[in-house]
Amino acid sequence: MNAVRKPVYLDHAATTPVDARVAARMAEVLRSETEYGNPASTSHDYGDVAAALVESARTQVAAAVGANAAEVIWTSGATEANNLAIFGVSRYYRDRGRHLITVRTEHKAVLDPCRELERRGWEVSYLVPDKEGLIDPTQVAAALRPDTVLVSLMHVNNEIGVVQDIAAVAAICAHHGGAWLHVDAAQSVGKCPIDFAGLGVDLMSLSAHKVYGPKGAGALLVARRGDSGGRGRVHLAALQFGGGQERSMRAGTLATHQIVGMGLAFELASTLSSMETARVAQLQQRLWRGLAALGGVLRNGSATRSVPHVLNVSFEGVEGESLLAAIRTSIAVSTGSACTSALAEPSYVLRALGRSERLSESSLRFGLGRTTTEGDIDTAVAVLTREVRRLRQVAGAAPVA
Amino acid sequence: MNYNELTRRYFESGANVGELTGPGVFRGAAGSLEGGTWVQFDLQINAGAVSAARFLAFGCPHTIAVSSWLTEQAVGHPAKPQLAEGVQGLRARFAVPVEKMGRLLIIEDAWLAAAAAAAAALEYGESTHISHERK
Repeated sequence: MNAVRKPVYLDHAATTPVDARVAARMAEVLRSETEYGNPASTSHDYGDVAAALVESARTQVAAAVGANAAEVIWTSGATEANNLAIFGVSRYYRDRGRHLITVRTEHKAVLDPCRELERRGWEVSYLVPDKEGLIDPTQVAAALRPDTVLVSLMHVNNEIGVVQDIAAVAAICAHHGGAWLHVDAAQSVGKCPIDFAGLGVDLMSLSAHKVYGPKGAGALLVARRGDSGGRGRVHLAALQFGGGQERSMRAGTLATHQIVGMGLAFELASTLSSMETARVAQLQQRLWRGLAALGGVLRNGSATRSVPHVLNVSFEGVEGESLLAAIRTSIAVSTGSACTSALAEPSYVLRALGRSERLSESSLRFGLGRTTTEGDIDTAVAVLTREVRRLRQVAGAAPVA
Repeated sequence: MNYNELTRRYFESGANVGELTGPGVFRGAAGSLEGGTWVQFDLQINAGAVSAARFLAFGCPHTIAVSSWLTEQAVGHPAKPQLAEGVQGLRARFAVPVEKMGRLLIIEDAWLAAAAAAAAALEYGESTHISHERK
């Protein structure tokens, strides 16, 4: 990376820089002579002090998403939370049924556990979203079976930013009676309101590093309410065993400083959310107007049912790898390709929306966030305008009107 | 993906991008847009030697860089039906991953098509030949 002039960072959907206030608080905990105890140590004050920090953070996280503190189970991140939800429910309820429902555009942290369950003999229904990436709740209703034990549906899509109608799906699952609803909300906090209790969701995965908190911290919300349908509370089989932490649902010594950082990050997110979202929405409009002026630029996902923090576009007439190579010293964004080898593979999310392989590969995901400025947007538009025009000229493409 | 200095330089400079027209111009193309790689070369031949060369390419940075470099190497040399450097040599020179060998072969096909068109036309006394259209 150029040490003099850093690329403009427009990849907040991948991860966010740690908020300075969060980093400072975490450093305090790490340096403290009284806060380093094991939160599980109940025999001395060091443990009690650390446990109090953990419980305070639990309250902060719960408050930010409309949950009860007792519903927060700490994990290492959203991936672990997704695994705990999917494998935990499937293992606990395996005698009730062996069918799951999810969506083709889910994150790999949901799709891969589902694939693993298929290898173990489970059946998984993969719903196909419409061209904007949205699921009609009636699709879930139609896919439910008597032996369905779990529906896993993300709230905000990480690649295209669309927001699914979680409340409607939750109502359908509650009516079904036997299918629990898990929601991957890693991209939601700080971008749109979340009311865990009000939505009627049973399980929800959260991540700290998407919200200006530290990497390596996350949580699974496990609803503790009963319901009028008489199906009671959702239960999980533990996936790891050791010290009985987190009510034996997730054994292992808690990382106090990470958890403290996540708690503060979530508190800040809920405080700043509405103001920040309005500002980011203006920036996204500025970015979209600038890129659309190029011509031959297609927006991926819904323009109306999405968070403004994510803008995914495809550029006609340019090859994906060349596009990324041309801009990477100036702009840090994610590409529509997963470069797992020298040969890129087009985004499965964009392919599920019906985009061609070529357009999927020549797409970019812009992740806007707290640190994004108008100057960043203008730089990105200027660089992309110059490089897309150049690459189209190299390809001999006629100028796009 | 990382690219060596030569690849970056020719990818960014885009020397000899474009098309040639007029007498003594011969064109060859290979690949397809849908397949992800398409290359076209125009060679202008005067007195049996290449006097100008241009290229168009839809493809990865290696494809663009190698195509650009080949046009630069060709000027002043006889129009032979072979690359200035073989595919394996190009792969080493531009540090092209083995998975991308197919793209170098598309470049070679486009070049040979242009050179073959020139050779055939010169043999039969034609002055211009456009052998391929964009797919």
